Amino acid sequence: MEKNPDKNYAIEICNLTKTYGKKRGVSGISLQVEEGDIFGFLGPNGAGKSTTIRSMLGLLHFQAGEIRLLSMDASHRRREVLAGVGYMPSEAMFYPSMKVKDVILFAAGIRKKDCGKEAERICRLLGVDTEKRIRELSLGNRKKVSIVCAMQHRPRLLILDEPTSGLDPLMQEAFFGLLLEYNRQGTTCFLSSHVLSEVKKYCRNAAFIKDGKIIRRDSVEGAPLDELFMHYYEEDKDDTAEA
Amino acid sequence: MTLLKHEIKSNLKALLIWAGCVGFGCLGCLLLFDGIRDAMEPMAEVYGEMGAFSAALGLDKLNVADIEGYFATEIALIFAVGGAMFAAMTGAAALSKEEEGHTAEFLYTLPVDRLFVVLWKYAAMVVLIVLFQIICILCILAGFAGVGEMPDAGSLVLFFGTQLLMQLEVGSVCFFVSSLSGKKQIGAAVGLSVLLYAADVMCRVVPDLEALKYITPFYFSNAADIFVNGRVERGPALTGMLVLVISGCLAAVISQKRDFSA
Repeated sequence: MEKNPDKNYAIEICNLTKTYGKKRGVSGISLQVEEGDIFGFLGPNGAGKSTTIRSMLGLLHFQAGEIRLLSMDASHRRREVLAGVGYMPSEAMFYPSMKVKDVILFAAGIRKKDCGKEAERICRLLGVDTEKRIRELSLGNRKKVSIVCAMQHRPRLLILDEPTSGLDPLMQEAFFGLLLEYNRQGTTCFLSSHVLSEVKKYCRNAAFIKDGKIIRRDSVEGAPLDELFMHYYEEDKDDTAEA
Repeated sequence: MTLLKHEIKSNLKALLIWAGCVGFGCLGCLLLFDGIRDAMEPMAEVYGEMGAFSAALGLDKLNVADIEGYFATEIALIFAVGGAMFAAMTGAAALSKEEEGHTAEFLYTLPVDRLFVVLWKYAAMVVLIVLFQIICILCILAGFAGVGEMPDAGSLVLFFGTQLLMQLEVGSVCFFVSSLSGKKQIGAAVGLSVLLYAADVMCRVVPDLEALKYITPFYFSNAADIFVNGRVERGPALTGMLVLVISGCLAAVISQKRDFSA
Protein backbone atom coordinates (compact mmCIF):
# COMPACT_ATOMS: atom_id res chain seq x y z
CA MET A 1 0.00 0.00 0.00
CA GLU A 2 1.26 3.48 -0.91
CA LYS A 3 2.35 5.73 1.91
CA ASN A 4 0.74 9.15 2.05
CA PRO A 5 3.41 11.73 2.97
CA ASP A 6 0.78 14.12 4.39
CA LYS A 7 -0.32 11.67 7.06
CA ASN A 8 1.29 10.72 10.36
CA TYR A 9 1.47 7.02 10.95
CA ALA A 10 1.65 5.28 14.30
CA ILE A 11 2.53 1.99 12.58
CA GLU A 12 4.40 1.57 9.32
CA ILE A 13 5.28 -1.94 8.24
CA CYS A 14 7.10 -2.33 4.96
CA ASN A 15 7.67 -5.69 3.27
CA LEU A 16 7.92 -7.61 6.53
CA THR A 17 9.05 -11.20 6.12
CA LYS A 18 9.49 -13.60 8.99
CA THR A 19 9.93 -17.33 8.60
CA TYR A 20 10.58 -20.01 11.21
CA GLY A 21 13.05 -22.26 9.44
CA LYS A 22 11.03 -23.72 6.60
CA LYS A 23 7.74 -22.75 8.20
CA ARG A 24 5.99 -19.64 7.00
CA GLY A 25 5.37 -16.77 9.36
CA VAL A 26 4.53 -13.68 7.34
CA SER A 27 5.67 -12.89 3.84
CA GLY A 28 6.29 -9.39 2.51
CA ILE A 29 3.47 -7.70 4.36
CA SER A 30 3.07 -3.92 4.31
CA LEU A 31 0.67 -1.98 6.47
CA GLN A 32 0.19 1.56 7.68
CA VAL A 33 -1.97 2.68 10.58
CA GLU A 34 -2.67 6.36 10.98
CA GLU A 35 -2.22 8.10 14.30
CA GLY A 36 -5.47 8.21 16.25
CA ASP A 37 -7.01 5.26 14.43
CA ILE A 38 -8.63 2.18 15.91
CA PHE A 39 -7.39 -0.48 13.58
CA GLY A 40 -8.65 -4.04 13.41
CA PHE A 41 -6.30 -6.84 12.41
CA LEU A 42 -8.35 -9.82 11.40
CA GLY A 43 -7.44 -13.31 10.38
CA PRO A 44 -7.92 -16.95 11.24
CA ASN A 45 -5.65 -18.82 13.66
CA GLY A 46 -2.14 -19.24 12.31
CA ALA A 47 -2.59 -16.52 9.70
CA GLY A 48 0.35 -14.46 11.00
CA LYS A 49 -1.34 -11.95 13.34
CA SER A 50 0.80 -12.76 16.37
CA THR A 51 3.97 -13.03 14.27
CA THR A 52 3.33 -9.52 12.96
CA ILE A 53 2.69 -8.16 16.44
CA ARG A 54 5.71 -9.90 17.97
CA SER A 55 7.89 -8.57 15.16
CA MET A 56 6.57 -5.07 15.84
CA LEU A 57 7.47 -5.37 19.51
CA GLY A 58 10.95 -6.78 18.91
CA LEU A 59 10.19 -10.20 20.35
CA LEU A 60 10.98 -11.75 16.97
CA HIS A 61 13.83 -10.90 14.63
CA PHE A 62 12.56 -10.72 11.08
CA GLN A 63 14.47 -11.66 7.95
CA ALA A 64 13.44 -8.72 5.77
CA GLY A 65 11.48 -5.50 5.87
CA GLU A 66 11.19 -2.48 8.10
CA ILE A 67 8.92 -1.60 10.99
CA ARG A 68 8.42 1.92 12.28
CA LEU A 69 6.30 2.59 15.34
CA LEU A 70 5.52 6.13 16.50
CA SER A 71 7.83 7.38 13.71
CA MET A 72 10.81 5.46 15.11
CA ASP A 73 12.62 2.43 13.78
CA ALA A 74 11.30 -0.38 15.98
CA SER A 75 14.44 -2.49 15.61
CA HIS A 76 17.03 0.14 16.46
CA ARG A 77 15.13 2.30 18.94
CA ARG A 78 13.29 -0.48 20.69
CA ARG A 79 13.37 0.97 24.19
CA GLU A 80 12.08 4.40 23.13
CA VAL A 81 9.40 2.79 21.00
CA LEU A 82 8.25 0.53 23.83
CA ALA A 83 8.12 3.49 26.23
CA GLY A 84 5.23 4.83 24.15
CA VAL A 85 3.52 1.49 23.58
CA GLY A 86 1.09 -0.47 25.73
CA TYR A 87 0.87 -4.15 24.84
CA MET A 88 -1.72 -6.66 25.88
CA PRO A 89 -0.72 -10.21 24.90
CA SER A 90 -3.31 -12.86 24.17
CA GLU A 91 -2.12 -15.16 26.96
CA ALA A 92 -1.66 -12.61 29.79
CA MET A 93 0.94 -14.50 31.79
CA PHE A 94 2.67 -12.97 34.80
CA TYR A 95 4.85 -14.19 37.65
CA PRO A 96 2.55 -16.59 39.55
CA SER A 97 3.83 -15.91 43.06
CA MET A 98 3.53 -12.13 42.77
CA LYS A 99 0.60 -10.11 44.00
CA VAL A 100 -1.37 -8.19 41.38
CA LYS A 101 -0.31 -4.84 42.86
CA ASP A 102 3.35 -5.88 42.69
CA VAL A 103 3.04 -6.85 39.02
CA ILE A 104 1.45 -3.47 38.24
CA LEU A 105 4.17 -1.67 40.25
CA PHE A 106 6.86 -3.77 38.58
CA ALA A 107 5.67 -2.71 35.10
CA ALA A 108 5.47 0.94 36.20
CA GLY A 109 8.88 0.68 37.88
CA ILE A 110 10.55 -0.54 34.70
CA ARG A 111 8.87 2.32 32.85
CA LYS A 112 10.24 4.64 35.55
CA LYS A 113 6.84 6.31 35.72
CA ASP A 114 4.48 7.03 38.56
CA CYS A 115 1.30 5.51 37.18
CA GLY A 116 -0.35 5.00 40.57
CA LYS A 117 -3.46 7.11 40.04
CA GLU A 118 -4.25 5.81 36.57
CA ALA A 119 -3.59 2.22 37.62
CA GLU A 120 -5.91 2.66 40.58
CA ARG A 121 -8.63 4.14 38.38
CA ILE A 122 -8.46 1.28 35.85
CA CYS A 123 -8.38 -1.31 38.63
CA ARG A 124 -11.50 0.23 40.17
CA LEU A 125 -13.24 0.35 36.81
CA LEU A 126 -12.50 -3.29 36.00
CA GLY A 127 -12.87 -4.56 39.56
CA VAL A 128 -9.30 -5.84 39.88
CA ASP A 129 -8.40 -7.26 43.30
CA THR A 130 -4.82 -6.07 43.69
CA GLU A 131 -4.17 -8.08 46.86
CA LYS A 132 -4.57 -11.45 45.14
CA ARG A 133 -1.66 -13.45 43.84
CA ILE A 134 -1.44 -14.07 40.09
CA ARG A 135 -1.69 -17.85 40.55
CA GLU A 136 -5.12 -17.36 42.15
CA LEU A 137 -6.51 -15.58 39.10
CA SER A 138 -8.56 -16.94 36.21
CA LEU A 139 -7.67 -16.08 32.61
CA GLY A 140 -10.27 -13.30 32.63
CA ASN A 141 -8.81 -11.72 35.76
CA ARG A 142 -5.27 -12.03 34.40
CA LYS A 143 -6.54 -10.25 31.28
CA LYS A 144 -7.72 -7.41 33.50
CA VAL A 145 -4.25 -7.13 35.04
CA SER A 146 -2.87 -7.09 31.53
CA ILE A 147 -5.18 -4.19 30.63
CA VAL A 148 -3.92 -2.23 33.64
CA CYS A 149 -0.28 -2.90 32.74
CA ALA A 150 -0.87 -1.92 29.11
CA MET A 151 -2.78 1.29 29.84
CA GLN A 152 -1.53 2.67 33.16
CA HIS A 153 1.22 4.78 31.55
CA ARG A 154 -1.20 6.34 29.03
CA PRO A 155 0.56 5.00 25.91
CA ARG A 156 0.50 6.68 22.50
CA LEU A 157 -0.02 3.31 20.84
CA LEU A 158 -1.95 0.35 22.19
CA ILE A 159 -1.26 -3.04 20.66
CA LEU A 160 -3.86 -5.57 21.70
CA ASP A 161 -3.65 -9.24 20.79
CA GLU A 162 -7.08 -10.83 21.14
CA PRO A 163 -7.88 -8.63 24.13
CA THR A 164 -11.41 -9.84 24.82
CA SER A 165 -10.78 -13.60 24.89
CA GLY A 166 -11.53 -14.74 28.44
CA LEU A 167 -13.37 -11.54 29.41
CA ASP A 168 -17.06 -11.75 30.21
CA PRO A 169 -19.44 -9.53 28.15
CA LEU A 170 -19.69 -6.88 30.87
CA MET A 171 -15.94 -6.62 31.14
CA GLN A 172 -15.67 -6.49 27.36
CA GLU A 173 -17.94 -3.44 27.43
CA ALA A 174 -15.87 -1.83 30.19
CA PHE A 175 -12.68 -2.60 28.27
CA PHE A 176 -13.93 -1.04 25.03
CA GLY A 177 -15.15 1.94 27.05
CA LEU A 178 -11.60 2.47 28.23
CA LEU A 179 -10.24 1.91 24.75
CA LEU A 180 -12.51 4.58 23.27
CA GLU A 181 -11.62 6.96 26.08
CA TYR A 182 -7.90 6.56 25.38
CA ASN A 183 -8.52 6.86 21.67
CA ARG A 184 -10.37 10.15 22.19
CA GLN A 185 -7.24 11.38 23.98
CA GLY A 186 -5.13 10.52 20.93
CA THR A 187 -4.03 6.93 21.52
CA THR A 188 -3.82 4.78 18.42
CA CYS A 189 -5.25 1.31 18.93
CA PHE A 190 -4.18 -1.75 16.98
CA LEU A 191 -6.55 -4.57 17.73
CA SER A 192 -5.81 -8.10 16.61
CA SER A 193 -8.89 -10.26 16.73
CA HIS A 194 -10.88 -12.99 15.13
CA VAL A 195 -14.13 -11.64 16.49
CA LEU A 196 -15.70 -9.85 13.55
CA SER A 197 -18.46 -8.14 15.56
CA GLU A 198 -16.05 -6.23 17.82
CA VAL A 199 -13.96 -5.08 14.88
CA LYS A 200 -17.10 -3.88 13.07
CA LYS A 201 -18.33 -2.12 16.18
CA TYR A 202 -15.19 -0.37 17.35
CA CYS A 203 -12.65 -0.15 14.51
CA ARG A 204 -12.50 2.45 11.75
CA ASN A 205 -10.10 0.55 9.52
CA ALA A 206 -9.18 -3.09 9.28
CA ALA A 207 -6.87 -5.48 7.48
CA PHE A 208 -7.32 -9.17 6.74
CA ILE A 209 -4.33 -11.44 7.00
CA LYS A 210 -4.31 -14.99 5.69
CA ASP A 211 -1.43 -17.39 5.11
CA GLY A 212 1.06 -14.72 6.13
CA LYS A 213 -0.14 -12.17 3.58
CA ILE A 214 -2.39 -9.13 3.85
CA ILE A 215 -5.41 -9.96 1.71
CA ARG A 216 -7.30 -6.75 2.13
CA ARG A 217 -7.03 -3.42 3.94
CA ASP A 218 -9.96 -1.03 4.00
CA SER A 219 -12.16 1.18 6.10
CA VAL A 220 -14.62 -0.88 8.12
CA GLU A 221 -17.59 1.07 6.76
CA GLY A 222 -16.66 0.54 3.13
CA ALA A 223 -15.49 -3.06 3.24
CA PRO A 224 -17.79 -6.03 2.88
CA LEU A 225 -16.35 -7.45 6.08
CA ASP A 226 -18.94 -10.18 6.58
CA GLU A 227 -18.39 -11.57 3.10
CA LEU A 228 -14.63 -11.42 3.37
CA PHE A 229 -14.70 -12.93 6.81
CA MET A 230 -16.98 -15.79 5.82
CA HIS A 231 -15.04 -16.38 2.62
CA TYR A 232 -11.65 -16.68 4.27
CA TYR A 233 -12.88 -18.60 7.27
CA GLU A 234 -14.75 -21.08 5.08
CA GLU A 235 -11.59 -21.48 3.01
CA ASP A 236 -9.67 -22.10 6.19
CA LYS A 237 -12.19 -24.71 7.31
CA ASP A 238 -11.99 -26.44 3.92
CA ASP A 239 -8.19 -26.53 4.13
CA THR A 240 -8.39 -28.08 7.57
CA ALA A 241 -10.92 -30.66 6.43
CA GLU A 242 -8.79 -31.60 3.41
CA ALA A 243 -5.72 -31.95 5.60
CA MET B 1 17.12 -1.67 39.87
CA THR B 2 13.45 -2.76 39.71
CA LEU B 3 14.48 -5.90 37.86
CA LEU B 4 17.33 -6.62 40.29
CA LYS B 5 14.98 -6.33 43.28
CA HIS B 6 12.38 -8.47 41.52
CA GLU B 7 14.92 -11.21 40.74
CA ILE B 8 16.31 -11.28 44.26
CA LYS B 9 12.85 -11.32 45.77
CA SER B 10 11.68 -14.15 43.54
CA ASN B 11 14.75 -16.25 44.44
CA LEU B 12 14.77 -15.44 48.14
CA LYS B 13 12.97 -18.59 49.24
CA ALA B 14 15.37 -20.86 47.30
CA LEU B 15 18.32 -18.92 48.69
CA LEU B 16 17.18 -19.31 52.29
CA ILE B 17 16.43 -23.01 51.86
CA TRP B 18 19.76 -23.80 50.20
CA ALA B 19 21.88 -21.54 52.39
CA GLY B 20 20.05 -22.92 55.44
CA CYS B 21 20.64 -26.54 54.44
CA VAL B 22 24.29 -26.08 53.50
CA GLY B 23 25.11 -23.58 56.25
CA PHE B 24 23.41 -25.50 59.05
CA GLY B 25 24.83 -28.73 57.63
CA CYS B 26 28.33 -27.29 57.95
CA LEU B 27 27.54 -25.87 61.40
CA GLY B 28 26.14 -29.18 62.63
CA CYS B 29 29.13 -31.16 61.36
CA LEU B 30 31.56 -28.70 62.93
CA LEU B 31 29.79 -28.92 66.27
CA LEU B 32 30.15 -32.69 66.11
CA PHE B 33 33.92 -32.36 65.90
CA ASP B 34 34.59 -32.23 69.64
CA GLY B 35 32.61 -35.41 70.19
CA ILE B 36 34.25 -37.40 67.41
CA ARG B 37 37.80 -36.04 67.63
CA ASP B 38 39.11 -39.08 69.52
CA ALA B 39 37.38 -41.50 67.15
CA MET B 40 38.94 -39.65 64.19
CA GLU B 41 42.52 -40.38 65.31
CA PRO B 42 42.64 -44.01 64.12
CA MET B 43 40.60 -43.07 61.05
CA ALA B 44 43.16 -40.42 60.15
CA GLU B 45 45.82 -43.10 59.91
CA VAL B 46 43.65 -45.31 57.70
CA TYR B 47 42.62 -42.35 55.54
CA GLY B 48 46.27 -41.44 55.03
CA GLU B 49 47.14 -44.85 53.63
CA MET B 50 44.69 -45.11 50.77
CA GLY B 51 47.25 -44.27 48.11
CA ALA B 52 45.98 -42.23 45.20
CA PHE B 53 42.62 -41.64 46.88
CA SER B 54 44.28 -40.18 49.94
CA ALA B 55 46.22 -37.85 47.65
CA ALA B 56 43.08 -36.99 45.68
CA LEU B 57 41.20 -36.01 48.81
CA GLY B 58 44.21 -34.35 50.46
CA LEU B 59 44.18 -36.88 53.28
CA ASP B 60 47.88 -37.66 52.84
CA LYS B 61 48.81 -34.13 53.89
CA LEU B 62 46.06 -33.24 56.34
CA ASN B 63 45.02 -34.83 59.59
CA VAL B 64 41.26 -35.27 59.88
CA ALA B 65 41.64 -35.38 63.63
CA ASP B 66 42.54 -31.70 63.85
CA ILE B 67 40.16 -28.84 63.04
CA GLU B 68 41.98 -27.75 59.87
CA GLY B 69 42.06 -31.23 58.39
CA TYR B 70 38.50 -31.96 59.47
CA PHE B 71 37.24 -28.72 57.94
CA ALA B 72 39.22 -29.08 54.70
CA THR B 73 38.25 -32.67 54.02
CA GLU B 74 34.72 -32.92 55.41
CA ILE B 75 33.02 -29.54 55.84
CA ALA B 76 34.53 -27.85 52.79
CA LEU B 77 33.11 -30.61 50.61
CA ILE B 78 29.55 -29.93 51.79
CA PHE B 79 30.06 -26.21 51.25
CA ALA B 80 31.67 -26.64 47.82
CA VAL B 81 29.20 -29.11 46.32
CA GLY B 82 26.15 -27.43 47.91
CA GLY B 83 27.32 -24.01 46.79
CA ALA B 84 28.03 -25.18 43.25
CA MET B 85 24.56 -26.74 43.01
CA PHE B 86 22.89 -23.57 44.24
CA ALA B 87 24.91 -21.43 41.81
CA ALA B 88 24.12 -23.82 38.95
CA MET B 89 20.38 -23.76 39.64
CA THR B 90 20.28 -19.99 40.03
CA GLY B 91 22.16 -19.47 36.77
CA ALA B 92 20.22 -22.10 34.84
CA ALA B 93 16.85 -20.56 35.65
CA ALA B 94 17.81 -16.90 35.30
CA LEU B 95 16.89 -16.27 31.65
CA SER B 96 15.03 -19.39 30.56
CA LYS B 97 12.39 -19.16 33.31
CA GLU B 98 10.84 -16.24 31.43
CA GLU B 99 10.19 -18.40 28.40
CA GLU B 100 9.18 -21.46 30.36
CA GLY B 101 6.76 -19.44 32.47
CA HIS B 102 5.49 -17.55 29.39
CA THR B 103 6.44 -14.24 31.03
CA ALA B 104 8.97 -13.28 28.33
CA GLU B 105 6.22 -11.53 26.39
CA PHE B 106 5.44 -9.37 29.43
CA LEU B 107 9.03 -8.60 30.42
CA TYR B 108 10.54 -8.02 27.00
CA THR B 109 7.78 -5.69 25.84
CA LEU B 110 8.52 -3.29 28.69
CA PRO B 111 10.85 -0.45 27.72
CA VAL B 112 14.13 -1.99 28.77
CA ASP B 113 16.97 -3.13 26.52
CA ARG B 114 17.53 -6.86 26.39
CA LEU B 115 21.15 -6.23 27.31
CA PHE B 116 20.02 -4.56 30.53
CA VAL B 117 17.70 -7.46 31.30
CA VAL B 118 20.67 -9.82 30.95
CA LEU B 119 22.92 -7.55 33.02
CA TRP B 120 20.40 -7.14 35.83
CA LYS B 121 19.68 -10.85 35.88
CA TYR B 122 23.39 -11.59 35.97
CA ALA B 123 23.84 -9.06 38.74
CA ALA B 124 21.00 -10.70 40.67
CA MET B 125 22.70 -14.09 40.30
CA VAL B 126 25.95 -12.62 41.65
CA VAL B 127 24.13 -11.02 44.61
CA LEU B 128 22.35 -14.30 45.39
CA ILE B 129 25.61 -16.24 45.30
CA VAL B 130 27.29 -13.67 47.55
CA LEU B 131 24.36 -13.81 49.99
CA PHE B 132 24.57 -17.60 49.97
CA GLN B 133 28.26 -17.34 50.81
CA ILE B 134 27.68 -14.85 53.61
CA ILE B 135 25.03 -17.02 55.27
CA CYS B 136 27.17 -20.15 55.00
CA ILE B 137 30.32 -18.38 56.18
CA LEU B 138 28.47 -17.05 59.23
CA CYS B 139 27.29 -20.59 60.01
CA ILE B 140 30.82 -21.95 59.60
CA LEU B 141 32.30 -19.22 61.81
CA ALA B 142 29.64 -19.98 64.41
CA GLY B 143 30.72 -23.62 64.19
CA PHE B 144 34.37 -22.69 64.82
CA ALA B 145 33.28 -20.55 67.75
CA GLY B 146 31.31 -23.51 69.13
CA VAL B 147 34.32 -25.82 68.84
CA GLY B 148 36.64 -23.16 70.22
CA GLU B 149 39.25 -23.70 67.49
CA MET B 150 39.87 -22.16 64.11
CA PRO B 151 42.05 -23.01 61.11
CA ASP B 152 44.62 -20.58 59.75
CA ALA B 153 42.72 -17.36 58.99
CA GLY B 154 44.67 -16.57 55.80
CA SER B 155 43.95 -19.98 54.28
CA LEU B 156 40.33 -19.71 55.34
CA VAL B 157 39.90 -16.34 53.57
CA LEU B 158 41.62 -17.74 50.49
CA PHE B 159 39.34 -20.77 50.57
CA PHE B 160 36.17 -18.66 50.78
CA GLY B 161 37.48 -16.40 47.99
CA THR B 162 38.10 -19.33 45.65
CA GLN B 163 34.72 -20.81 46.55
CA LEU B 164 33.09 -17.55 45.48
CA LEU B 165 35.01 -17.63 42.20
CA MET B 166 34.09 -21.30 41.68
CA GLN B 167 30.39 -20.66 42.31
CA LEU B 168 30.40 -17.64 40.03
CA GLU B 169 32.04 -19.70 37.29
CA VAL B 170 29.49 -22.52 37.61
CA GLY B 171 26.68 -19.96 37.78
CA SER B 172 27.99 -18.16 34.69
CA VAL B 173 28.24 -21.32 32.63
CA CYS B 174 24.67 -22.24 33.59
CA PHE B 175 23.56 -18.66 32.89
CA PHE B 176 24.96 -19.10 29.39
CA VAL B 177 23.07 -22.40 29.01
CA SER B 178 19.97 -20.57 30.21
CA SER B 179 20.31 -18.06 27.36
CA LEU B 180 20.23 -20.93 24.85
CA SER B 181 17.25 -22.77 26.22
CA GLY B 182 13.55 -22.16 26.58
CA LYS B 183 13.42 -24.47 29.61
CA LYS B 184 15.03 -24.09 33.01
CA GLN B 185 17.30 -27.18 32.74
CA ILE B 186 17.69 -27.48 36.51
CA GLY B 187 18.48 -31.19 36.30
CA ALA B 188 21.26 -30.59 33.79
CA ALA B 189 22.65 -27.79 35.95
CA VAL B 190 22.81 -29.95 39.08
CA GLY B 191 24.29 -32.76 36.96
CA LEU B 192 26.94 -30.38 35.67
CA SER B 193 28.05 -29.44 39.20
CA VAL B 194 28.35 -33.09 40.21
CA LEU B 195 30.23 -33.86 37.00
CA LEU B 196 32.68 -31.03 37.65
CA TYR B 197 33.29 -32.37 41.15
CA ALA B 198 33.88 -35.86 39.71
CA ALA B 199 36.30 -34.32 37.20
CA ASP B 200 38.28 -32.84 40.09
CA VAL B 201 38.58 -36.24 41.80
CA MET B 202 39.48 -37.93 38.50
CA CYS B 203 42.22 -35.49 37.57
CA ARG B 204 43.79 -36.03 40.99
CA VAL B 205 43.62 -39.83 40.82
CA VAL B 206 44.45 -40.46 37.14
CA PRO B 207 47.63 -38.67 35.99
CA ASP B 208 46.56 -38.88 32.33
CA LEU B 209 43.52 -36.76 33.12
CA GLU B 210 45.48 -33.95 34.75
CA ALA B 211 44.33 -31.51 32.05
CA LEU B 212 40.85 -31.67 33.58
CA LYS B 213 42.13 -29.31 36.27
CA TYR B 214 41.70 -26.49 33.74
CA ILE B 215 38.09 -27.47 33.19
CA THR B 216 36.78 -28.06 36.69
CA PRO B 217 36.62 -25.10 39.08
CA PHE B 218 36.65 -27.56 41.99
CA TYR B 219 40.37 -27.99 41.36
CA PHE B 220 41.61 -24.48 42.13
CA SER B 221 39.11 -24.11 44.99
CA ASN B 222 40.08 -27.40 46.65
CA ALA B 223 40.26 -26.85 50.40
CA ALA B 224 42.95 -29.47 51.06
CA ASP B 225 45.32 -27.84 48.54
CA ILE B 226 44.67 -24.39 49.94
CA PHE B 227 45.17 -25.38 53.58
CA VAL B 228 48.34 -27.37 52.80
CA ASN B 229 49.98 -24.96 50.32
CA GLY B 230 48.47 -21.68 51.51
CA ARG B 231 48.02 -20.60 47.90
CA VAL B 232 45.95 -21.24 44.78
CA GLU B 233 47.29 -22.69 41.55
CA ARG B 234 47.23 -19.75 39.18
CA GLY B 235 46.60 -21.43 35.79
CA PRO B 236 43.29 -23.18 36.60
CA ALA B 237 42.07 -20.13 38.58
CA LEU B 238 42.77 -17.78 35.65
CA THR B 239 41.08 -20.23 33.28
CA GLY B 240 38.09 -20.16 35.62
CA MET B 241 37.95 -16.36 35.48
CA LEU B 242 38.17 -16.46 31.70
CA VAL B 243 35.33 -18.99 31.47
CA LEU B 244 33.25 -16.80 33.81
CA VAL B 245 33.70 -13.71 31.63
CA ILE B 246 33.23 -15.53 28.31
CA SER B 247 30.04 -17.30 29.48
CA GLY B 248 28.54 -14.01 30.66
CA CYS B 249 29.39 -12.26 27.38
CA LEU B 250 28.06 -15.13 25.26
CA ALA B 251 24.81 -15.12 27.24
CA ALA B 252 24.43 -11.40 26.52
CA VAL B 253 25.10 -11.85 22.79
CA ILE B 254 22.74 -14.81 22.43
CA SER B 255 19.95 -13.09 24.36
CA GLN B 256 20.11 -10.18 21.92
CA LYS B 257 19.53 -12.48 18.97
CA ARG B 258 16.96 -14.78 20.49
CA ASP B 259 13.35 -14.98 19.33
CA PHE B 260 10.75 -15.14 22.04
CA SER B 261 7.70 -17.16 21.23
CA ALA B 262 4.55 -17.20 23.33
